[in-house]
Order: sequence, then structure tokens, then C-alpha cells
Amino acid sequence: MAAPGMVHWVRIWSSCLKNVQRQGSGRVVCASRVSYSSSSDTGEGGFPKMQFADEKVQDILTQITGLDLQKVFRPVKEELKPPAYKLMTDAQLQEANSRAVEEARRRLKMTPVLPERKPIQDILAHDKVLAGMETAKYVFTDITFETPHRQRFVVVREPDGCLRKASWEERDRMIQVYFPKHGRKITPPPIFQEANLKNVYRQDQHEALLDLCLAQFEPDSAEYKKVHRLTYEDIEKQGKYNLLRSTRHFGGMAWHLVMSRNVDGLLVDMLQRDLVHDAVSLVSLFNLVHPQSESAEEARKLNAKGLDLLKVYAKEESQRAGYIELALQAHQRTF
Amino acid sequence: MKASALLKRYHGGFVVIRLALGGCTNRPFYRIVAAFNKRARDSKYIEQLGTYDPLPNKYNEKLVSLNYGRIKYWIGCGAHTTKPVAKLLGLSGFFPLHPMTVTEAERKRKRAELMKAQPDGDRAEEEEQDKKEQEA
Repeated sequence: MAAPGMVHWVRIWSSCLKNVQRQGSGRVVCASRVSYSSSSDTGEGGFPKMQFADEKVQDILTQITGLDLQKVFRPVKEELKPPAYKLMTDAQLQEANSRAVEEARRRLKMTPVLPERKPIQDILAHDKVLAGMETAKYVFTDITFETPHRQRFVVVREPDGCLRKASWEERDRMIQVYFPKHGRKITPPPIFQEANLKNVYRQDQHEALLDLCLAQFEPDSAEYKKVHRLTYEDIEKQGKYNLLRSTRHFGGMAWHLVMSRNVDGLLVDMLQRDLVHDAVSLVSLFNLVHPQSESAEEARKLNAKGLDLLKVYAKEESQRAGYIELALQAHQRTF
Repeated sequence: MKASALLKRYHGGFVVIRLALGGCTNRPFYRIVAAFNKRARDSKYIEQLGTYDPLPNKYNEKLVSLNYGRIKYWIGCGAHTTKPVAKLLGLSGFFPLHPMTVTEAERKRKRAELMKAQPDGDRAEEEEQDKKEQEA
């Protein structure tokens, strides 16, 4: 049920907020310490507990992310080159188009949603004889090139003689010192402080901020989750869902909203933009993830499909039932 | 790995893992290096196996990087280690603790206890020294 424990890293070149140029070069890292599946595979009532990486969930999320080629390939600040013109037949144009769609799908690969990492507290040795010899800690990093970063040894000898494994923050810092990743700084830039985040949200720079966050932090770290949570909450408060539509972060946002049961705003936004199929798949995702909720049970009883799902959801679960029903009626009148 | 067959004046040499000094004035920086023992300290080495920064950074850490895989290879080839490298490897847990590390720690602790036990005696010595400097 859960996907195998492999994480595909995409190197992101982001020099500043406005200039974001994405380049894909897959580097597969064996995350043997990180496991996708939770400890219990069945949730309440014997239904299988849905994880972010499940096939069904991923399919629904890719579908509602959309594929707006104009947005994915929008012009990015690059070195000035004279434009290249190509003379193509219809067949060649179609082929170029399909290649562009493939490339867009690769660029829209969803950012990982992993459970938060637990702090490392292993002590390897405690040599009390060494107490008081040094005033500074020694941090020993293993720089063997072939070991994956998650399995690298980073060990700290404290001044009181204790030899312990380094904490996650120390590990990230050391690995960035000896194996620098492009776009990542050793100390996180001050944009991730809460006061500065508000400025970013005011300027509608959510997508660039999330790209920066992905470059700077590991996906299971607390700061990554906090920045993403605050961004999604701000988007939900302001209703600016279209900022993230057709980007890699839409799936994560939809997952976060579904897990916290705040789907109403997104649903209304979809209906207002006439994306009824997306709305239906969103409600089916909600029913998949919360199989014990009233709308899911009703839907299973009535075996609802399509617009009926939306009506069931509007009746049972949503707080803005009036909005959803109005939007449905408007949609049905036009068709 | 042997020294070149043409070197007629280098017999019985061996490979050492030692610290090669670099950096600038008042800012040392060591590279942990496998080199022939007769070579100059900072000159051509066989392979770099890591680094050691003796000055603590803003998080009060002294950074040491060690390529354990290659260190194991060179020790397997019969390389010797110098005292500071052996001490670092002992502190990292790769080697057992160097006996001099333990001895120095104990000496430091004894000195610290002496300083704490006789603060007045020290101050009297310092005053005597100041008087002598004034007279001279």
C-alpha cells in the first residue's frame, strides 16, 4: 500500500525570490531511516488509513493540480539570447507539444509530505575522564563520498566527555558544509522568520517562498512543516488558491486542507472557476481519507457519483452548504 | 603503494597519516593527509583524508572531517599515525582513547583544583613578581 522508501531529490536553483529556474536532475537517496508507512496500516473501523504517497491519493492530487502549460513554462529571467524560430509540420508541432507536456509533468512532481522526524538522542560513550579538558565541542563528520546523507556518521564530543550522535540541525549544517547543495544556506535566511513571512504573503509570493523552503530545509524537519503550514493557512484565509494551482505545491496544500477538514474554501473556489470534475475528485479524496465522516457514509449508502457526491458533501459535512448548492445550481443552469 | 623505484636515497620509508598546516597568519587550518614520512609537512601528499579546524566557530564547535573508508584503507596498507591524528581519532571514537589525552585531562584537572585551593598563594606570588619588575 505504501510506496517504497525512496525519495527523488530535484535540485532547485533559486537565487532570489523572483528568479526561480527549475532544473531536474534526479538523485536517488536511500532513506532507510525514514519510513513512509505509519505504525498501523488500518485506521478506525477497519478502513485502510490513507497516506500521502498512496497511488489513489496521488492520482487525485495530480488531477486537481491541473497542467497549465502557460504557467509552468512562464518566462523566467535568464541570460539574453536571440529567439530561436523553428519551422515545423503539424505532426512535429504535436510531438513538441507532447514533449512539453511530459516536461511539465516532471516539473509538477509533488513535494514530499513526510511525518516529522524524531529528535536523535543516542549517546555512544561517556568518558568522564575527559571532563574539563576542552572548552569547545568537537564535531566529527564522515566524508566518505558514497554513503547516502541519511546514513552518514556525524558525531559530537562534548566538553564533559560525552560522545553522542549529532542532532538533526547539527547534521544538516555539517552536511551542508562538506557537501554543499545549491540554493541551501548554512544558517536559514531571515525570510523564514514569522514577521517576514507576513510581508511575503502580502506580496503574493507564496510559490517562490515554498520553493525556497524546499531548497533550504529537509522535508521531514520541523521548520519545513511549519513554513508550509503557515503558508497553506494564509492561502486558505485569503482564498488565494489559484496562486498554487498548476505548481508542485498544490498537492501538498490540498492534502493539508483535507487532513484538517477545511475543504470548503477550495471547493467553492473550484466551483467558481467551473472545475466541477476537480471538485468531485476533491470530495472523493475527502471521503477516502475520512471514511468515518458523515458525507463518506452517506455517499457509500447512496452509491453517489459525480455531482451527487458534491450534494451529499454539501448537505452533511460543509459549513458553507448554501454557497456550494448555489454554485452547483449555477453550473447546472449553464449546462 | 611504494615510493618510486628510482628514489635511491629513500629506503625504509613509510606512509603516515598526519596534519598538514595551511591557513593564514593567526588562523591555522589542518588537512589530515596520507603522505610519505620524509616529505615536507605541507608538500605533495598521496591523498587528503579530512580536515581539522582548531578554532571554534560561532556554535563553539571545532569541525573535524574524516574519510573513515580511506583511513581504514591506509591503515590496512600499514600507514602510521602521528600523535595529534591518533588523539583526534580517539576523540571521535574510531580509535580507543589516546593515553596522553587521558593524562592531559587529569593534569589539567589537578592544576585547576590547585588554582582553586590556593587563590591567595597565587596572588601573593603575582604581587612579588610585580614588585621585582618595578625595582628593575
